[in-house]
Amino acid sequence: MSSSSDPDPGLRFDVAEIEQADEIVEQRPPQETALGEGKAVGGKRRNLVTAVWALPGFVWLGFYMLAPLVFIVLVSFWTRTDFGYEKVWTTSNYTELFHDSTYWKNMRTSFVTSLIAVSACLVFGFPIAYFLALKVRTLRWQIALFIVALAPFWTSFLTRSIAWTYPLMGRQGALNQTLQKLGIVDEPVAALGFSPLSVRLALVQLYILFMITPLFFTLAQVDQAALEAARDLGGNWWRTFKEVIVPQAAPGAVIGSIFIFVLTMGDYGTVQVIGGGNVTSVGTVVNSKVGAIQYPQGAASAVLLVLVLMAGVFVITRFSKLREEL
Amino acid sequence: MRRRVDWAKWGLGVYFVIFLIFLYAPMALMGVLSFQGVFGGVTFPFRGPVSLDWWRSLFDASIPGSHAEDIRASGKQSLWLGLVAGTVVAVLAFTLSMAFRRRFRGDGIAFYVIMLALMTPGFLLGLGNQLFWRFLGETTSIWKTALGANVIWGIPFGFLVMLAVWNRYDDHIEEAARDLGANQVRTFREVTLPLVWPGVFGCFLFGFTLTWNDYDRTVLLTSGFDTATLPVQIFGLTFSQAIRPDLYALGAATTLVSLLAIALMLVAVTIRLRFRGAPVQRTEEELGLGEGLQLAETEASSG
Repeated sequence: MSSSSDPDPGLRFDVAEIEQADEIVEQRPPQETALGEGKAVGGKRRNLVTAVWALPGFVWLGFYMLAPLVFIVLVSFWTRTDFGYEKVWTTSNYTELFHDSTYWKNMRTSFVTSLIAVSACLVFGFPIAYFLALKVRTLRWQIALFIVALAPFWTSFLTRSIAWTYPLMGRQGALNQTLQKLGIVDEPVAALGFSPLSVRLALVQLYILFMITPLFFTLAQVDQAALEAARDLGGNWWRTFKEVIVPQAAPGAVIGSIFIFVLTMGDYGTVQVIGGGNVTSVGTVVNSKVGAIQYPQGAASAVLLVLVLMAGVFVITRFSKLREEL
Repeated sequence: MRRRVDWAKWGLGVYFVIFLIFLYAPMALMGVLSFQGVFGGVTFPFRGPVSLDWWRSLFDASIPGSHAEDIRASGKQSLWLGLVAGTVVAVLAFTLSMAFRRRFRGDGIAFYVIMLALMTPGFLLGLGNQLFWRFLGETTSIWKTALGANVIWGIPFGFLVMLAVWNRYDDHIEEAARDLGANQVRTFREVTLPLVWPGVFGCFLFGFTLTWNDYDRTVLLTSGFDTATLPVQIFGLTFSQAIRPDLYALGAATTLVSLLAIALMLVAVTIRLRFRGAPVQRTEEELGLGEGLQLAETEASSG
């Protein structure tokens, strides 16, 4: 009981009652939605059924994803030995890593590469999604063209990287040959093959579908009537675009950006093929540490990568109220 | 309706075609170069005559320099791994999505855990599993570890497919079945499953193709004694020696398998749409496809 004020008993009773009522109200909505959807009857048994359905999937996720990820964190704090690690706690892996300039240089270039990939995919992917969702009128054509655009995602990234690198780019590649024939350049452009430029172009080609797909699905929900209304009310196309299309597309752009940012930062197989061993990324650096049985250092550098990824995802989600939109 | 030329539409259409060229050109070039004669190189000009020699060397071990034996073994390995992973993904994605049909305590976090599987780069999963299995005192192998990690990559895709299916699914149809006296098991078997099986099959195909094409996870999680999967084999061929057109033929062949999987999926969907008897018509409506079909038909007849 506080000494500064002495509220009369009746009022205090009221407060308690309100709190109680609040609790009841707070408990209500989940029950109501469940009942409203005609699903939850007889709570305990339904909960058991849900648990049984959820169990196999989460056991698998726990064993093959969560436990291994936790282990990366654990091992990053263990001491390195010649054969791997021993369970002696230390932070030296991290202090060592903070002075590892190669690691940070690669982190920086990978980060820049990912930023370029995200923006390029957004800029070049948006018109595609816009075209498919709003300019193709019949559903049949929409589905058909969407599948044509999506099909390469189902094929191997490795094969696509090989196809990108050897026949197309490179000193003798088709692109250089075409450029020379057209007289645009006299000498083959060496920067096209096995180079950071080639890797960046290829990443756009490989990952752009991760941007187009969510953009397509959000843009497909744009109400055609709203567009007509905007036009009838005298809005020019830029205002219509800014005030109707962009807000609608924002969640899709955010989801696509997250995908591409995370996947390109973590990429290493395709970087190796396209870069022909000349280009490194955070992924290849971490991997070479692990290859050299420096497990704790590899784990620590992976943990830092994850922190950068999480920070990036956090920043990207600030661009849209994603949770409310979904 | 006003009839005027939609310039934006045509402009975007042209851009779409250019985009498709950008997307498909490398694969097309690779495919073309795989049909060169014996003196073919890895870049243009095309060195004829047009032949199937490089394709034949994928299967015929008697051709000098052929990798046919390795390719056959790894192809078989990839196929089985993909089929098993696809099946596991279908089962797990389906069961998980069944749990998410009603709200439960912690479903928000559970959803994020599933999405985490989509967001974890392949090599982190590979590294984590390596460390974890080392700690358990077990060696990693294709069937124990690589399979597990590949299924992790497939689960979120399958799960999202199933969420889309349930989103358009009318629960009343199950209530009707129960009202007519079917118990839960029978409702599930005779009403629920037949309605959603194309979705489950879609999960299987997702799991299959993702595994069939995976390099990042698999390469970190096989033991030295395992037969390599096809992507691992392809990677080895890329780096171990001078590249020849047979690598192109191999790449094109694996791509064809992936495309076959897409075709299968489309066939599965169209089979459902083909039989337009009354009950199936109802099914299409339940899946939310009825509206779209009518829309497409009216568009087609008016345009």
